[in-house]
Amino acid sequence: MASFELLTPATVDAAIATLRAIEPARRVVLAGGTDLLLDIDDGRAAPSQVISLRRLPWRTLDWVEGSLTVGSTLALRSLEKEPEVARRYPALAQAVRAVGSVALRHSATLGGNLARAAPASDLIPVLLVLDAEVELVGPTGSRSLSVDRFLVASRRTAIAPDELIRAIRFPEPRPSAYLWQRVRRVHDISQLAIAVAWSPDRKTWRVAVGGIPPRSVLLPEVAAALGGERPGSSELHTARARASRAVALVADRRASEEYRRQLVGVLLERAVRSALGGGAAG
Amino acid sequence: MSRPIELRLNGRPATIPDVPDDERLLDTLRWRLDLKGTKEGCRTGGCGACTVLVDGRSILACLALTREVEGTAVTTIEGSASDPDLARVRAAFEKVGALQCGYCTPGFVMTLGGLLKEIGRSAPIDQFLRGLDGNLCRCTGYASIVRAVAEMREPGP
Ligand SMILES: Cc1cc2nc3c(=O)[nH]c(=O)nc-3n(C[C@@H](O)[C@@H](O)[C@H](O)COP(=O)(O)OP(=O)(O)OC[C@H]3O[C@@H](n4cnc5c(N)ncnc54)[C@H](O)[C@@H]3O)c2cc1C
Ligand code: FES
Ligand code: FES
Repeated sequence: MASFELLTPATVDAAIATLRAIEPARRVVLAGGTDLLLDIDDGRAAPSQVISLRRLPWRTLDWVEGSLTVGSTLALRSLEKEPEVARRYPALAQAVRAVGSVALRHSATLGGNLARAAPASDLIPVLLVLDAEVELVGPTGSRSLSVDRFLVASRRTAIAPDELIRAIRFPEPRPSAYLWQRVRRVHDISQLAIAVAWSPDRKTWRVAVGGIPPRSVLLPEVAAALGGERPGSSELHTARARASRAVALVADRRASEEYRRQLVGVLLERAVRSALGGGAAG
Repeated sequence: MSRPIELRLNGRPATIPDVPDDERLLDTLRWRLDLKGTKEGCRTGGCGACTVLVDGRSILACLALTREVEGTAVTTIEGSASDPDLARVRAAFEKVGALQCGYCTPGFVMTLGGLLKEIGRSAPIDQFLRGLDGNLCRCTGYASIVRAVAEMREPGP
């Protein structure tokens, strides 16, 4: 006997109705399955119903006036293969390429990564600095909120039990970069990661740190220290100093606190240079 | 629940009876269809031994529900002789001798065959080698596999 029943609603309305019909504790949503099936194997999830999003029309990538909307169930590999993504949102392309392997990225989705809200996610720091918006759809219609507000804590988000992530929207294209440090280049979790982006509209930097619990966070005071579009060495120096004090850097089995404190400044400076130079980082 | 599933398997239409909703593609292939060429290594997405093609794209069969690939075209190493890209990779592995125990080989062949379909024969070698990031081999030390990749490529213009 199967341990769960797989439901494959054919429309968004049917999917929402299915969510509403089943008690939240008994069901779970399936996109690429690369996190969920492991959770089921480990007993972290024990649903009696699994609701697949496979038939929903969300494997999309749309450009509207030069800005990007990614459907929640689009495979990461499809995102990475779109040349305009790497050109307009370099940090996003760099972060996507950091996730697992090609075969994993043929299944794994952006919506699943965001919904999971893992502290070590490679995509979330980038969503933060690009001011990405999450589009949620539920029984009463849809709503949007910033990724920063969507993330509540480690593995906790602001999604309601009967809502789904429909898409992730990126406002203006931004010079940006994502850099990470790992013991091994692949199949490892970053000891620390930094995303930076320059917003031409707001004339400000965004800086986010990832790879540390409880969640990836924006560092506005570090971004402010960078000043204008082309920070000089004194701005970089101040930003580095602030970065190493800004977050509660912890020691765990991946890195010591001291190493992380060193790393945060080094990656920050390299990321800013990469964003400005359009450098081939990552 | 268990229901029959229709798909294309190694180039032919197939109906698989009684597939439980929670069954992984890896288990359907190995235990229900007796296609033992697809290997189980880690069962957690980390080794690439279970790689198969779904509509020409490589996926990890240990992290896929069989019912989720309903209606698609699934190709395993058993179908590699009749697919020109996979046959090309196989020929390169055989010529170079890019294996020892062979446990990882189906996964490498499927991953590289999928890459040939995605990026073409004359893509830069780095794209193929980085594309192998998810495939582990504990025997060869990879040098012979890298030679097979070079053999399989067509030098660019
Ligand atoms: C071997 C391996 C290596 C990995 N390496 C990395 C890495 O380097 N960096 C990294 O960041 N991640 C990594 N991951 C995790 C990464 O694969 C996932 O986070 C992936 O992006 C999740 O997407 P999915 O479609 O597979 O989600 P699923 O597993 O299908 O779902 C994940 C969670 O999100 C929920 N969900 C999914 N879609 C929606 C939606 N549209 N609306 C509401 N809820 C939804 C599900 O209910 C579930 O709780 C790795 C995983 C594996 C197995
Ligand atoms: S068995 Fe699937 S990746 Fe190892
Ligand atoms: S040849 Fe033995 S694992 Fe690769």
